[in-house]
Amino acid sequence: MSNALLKAENLSIAFGGLKAVDDLSFEMNEGEIYGIIGPNGAGKTTAFNCITQFYRPDAGKVLFNAKEKGMIDLVGKKPHDIIGLGLVRTFQNVELIVSLSVIENLLVGAHTAFKSSLFSQILKLPKARREEEVLRKRAEAVLESLNLLHLKDMPALMQPYGIQKRIELGRTLMLNPKLIILDEPAAGLNDVETQALVQTVKDISSQYKCGILLIEHDMNFVSNVCQRICAINFGKLLAIGTPEEIKVNHDVQEAYLGKDEA
Amino acid sequence: MNVLALYKKSRPYSSYVIFGVLLALAPLMVNLGVLRFFHLTLIAGVVIYAIVALGLNLLMGYAGLVSLGTAAFMGVGAYLTAFFTQDLGMDFLPSIVLTVVITSILGILVGLLSLRVEGFFLAMATLAVAEILRQVFIEFTGFTNSFVGRTANFPEFFGFTMNRNQTFILLVVFLVLAMFVTQSFANSYTGRALSAMRGSEAAASAMGINIFKYRLIAFSVSTAYAGLGGALYMHFIRFTFPNVWMFTLSLMLFAVVVIGGVRSVAGTVVGAFVVFGVPDLILVNIPVIGDINGMAFVFTGVLIIVVVMYYPAGLIYIWHDIKVLVHKVRGRGKV
Repeated sequence: MSNALLKAENLSIAFGGLKAVDDLSFEMNEGEIYGIIGPNGAGKTTAFNCITQFYRPDAGKVLFNAKEKGMIDLVGKKPHDIIGLGLVRTFQNVELIVSLSVIENLLVGAHTAFKSSLFSQILKLPKARREEEVLRKRAEAVLESLNLLHLKDMPALMQPYGIQKRIELGRTLMLNPKLIILDEPAAGLNDVETQALVQTVKDISSQYKCGILLIEHDMNFVSNVCQRICAINFGKLLAIGTPEEIKVNHDVQEAYLGKDEA
Repeated sequence: MNVLALYKKSRPYSSYVIFGVLLALAPLMVNLGVLRFFHLTLIAGVVIYAIVALGLNLLMGYAGLVSLGTAAFMGVGAYLTAFFTQDLGMDFLPSIVLTVVITSILGILVGLLSLRVEGFFLAMATLAVAEILRQVFIEFTGFTNSFVGRTANFPEFFGFTMNRNQTFILLVVFLVLAMFVTQSFANSYTGRALSAMRGSEAAASAMGINIFKYRLIAFSVSTAYAGLGGALYMHFIRFTFPNVWMFTLSLMLFAVVVIGGVRSVAGTVVGAFVVFGVPDLILVNIPVIGDINGMAFVFTGVLIIVVVMYYPAGLIYIWHDIKVLVHKVRGRGKV
């Protein structure tokens, strides 16, 4: 068996007459940092939502290698069932819970690891307390690895945008995911923050031994971070290859820069 | 000094205990002549509504859902415990436990039907359920005795019947327990899941939180609080009839949460005191204002407007502002 982690097969979804994702297929390996790029409106985020089951694709399969369970087709599963398989996502506009503190936001990411009953929670029985303590320790370790530990009890609301993005990244790390999907992680960041993010993403991938699929339109960022890239436009696959191959690919250049008049 | 350290370490729970102890002194105040007989009934009402509002705050403040059916669920609790203790001859405690269990199941059933919608639509759905329940209170004469009303006794344990003062203290014990439970619930992973759901449904489901399941939990828990409150009402006031459980009561409970402080246990209790205590304890003694008919509603209405404008998070935050002010005056800006 190959070491494929995620495999999209002939993925399609249409909104009315608009084919947002059209027969898209790609495959990424375990531990790989893989990028999906495309100009604005190319269907990147839609493809992303089809993978995480926020949208239900009209056709095609999303096969995910879920450890013991083998290759599982994600299509038809509920969004809240996806994380249990080891696949976790972030959001383009950073969806932190502003009423909670930084560390509590990470603990929300560990939600499925909590097992104690409602009764032991409201009565604060030892089982519930121990569980909370263990996961709090884990959250602190994750925060430490992201250099955020000093902020752990601060409200998530007050953090600058770059920090919020890091907190959201931390939230995905709580359950030892096999695959993290990042939706436009560099959007809204300045050059310095973007440079730092390149390093963070690489660190996470090696430290937590997980695959990272990221969706971006910042070509520079993607070629610094990704080992392989899949370029799409108008929902259709343009090319798959290493960053160098993609950069010189004629179709990709045309999609990004427009047609050569000459 | 150790006591103080223990107090600080186990806050806010220790504050709740102290609050409960102080409140439990009210019957003594009546005996000493500081408070009047009817004051105790008023304060008991505040205590009961505070318990119910704590449940409503979990639903509104944490889960971000609105219910306008709270009063009807209280009514169900009141009639159930009357049925268990009077018709079936049960003791107080098993009756209360059964009542809470049944009302929480009722909450799940109503939730299964109504939680598929949200916001205003959910408010309308719960309002409809409440009106249906009130009609049931009127029509199911064998169970509710319709407008003649039903009676119950002060709590009975193993052949021993409590008197009025003891029952009052029991209410206070229930309030403190409810404050404990609410606080723990809010800080538990379930409470966090509710906050996550309210903050961002997309993020919540991406983190593995089943939105519908947690809505059901919140709704059922809040209904159980209402059932408990209704049952306690029945064993203190000892009489009920359908018009007690009207829409206006649901609105007043809603006002308690908004005025006191969304997502705050202490705020909810303060809110209950302001909405259910202040009009009858204080305002009636003021000339002219005290004579206005329906003055309590006017007071609540005006208060909601003022609070939403100046303290959108609730009156409890006045306390926070006072602390900041004291700091400023004492430390000249070193907040």
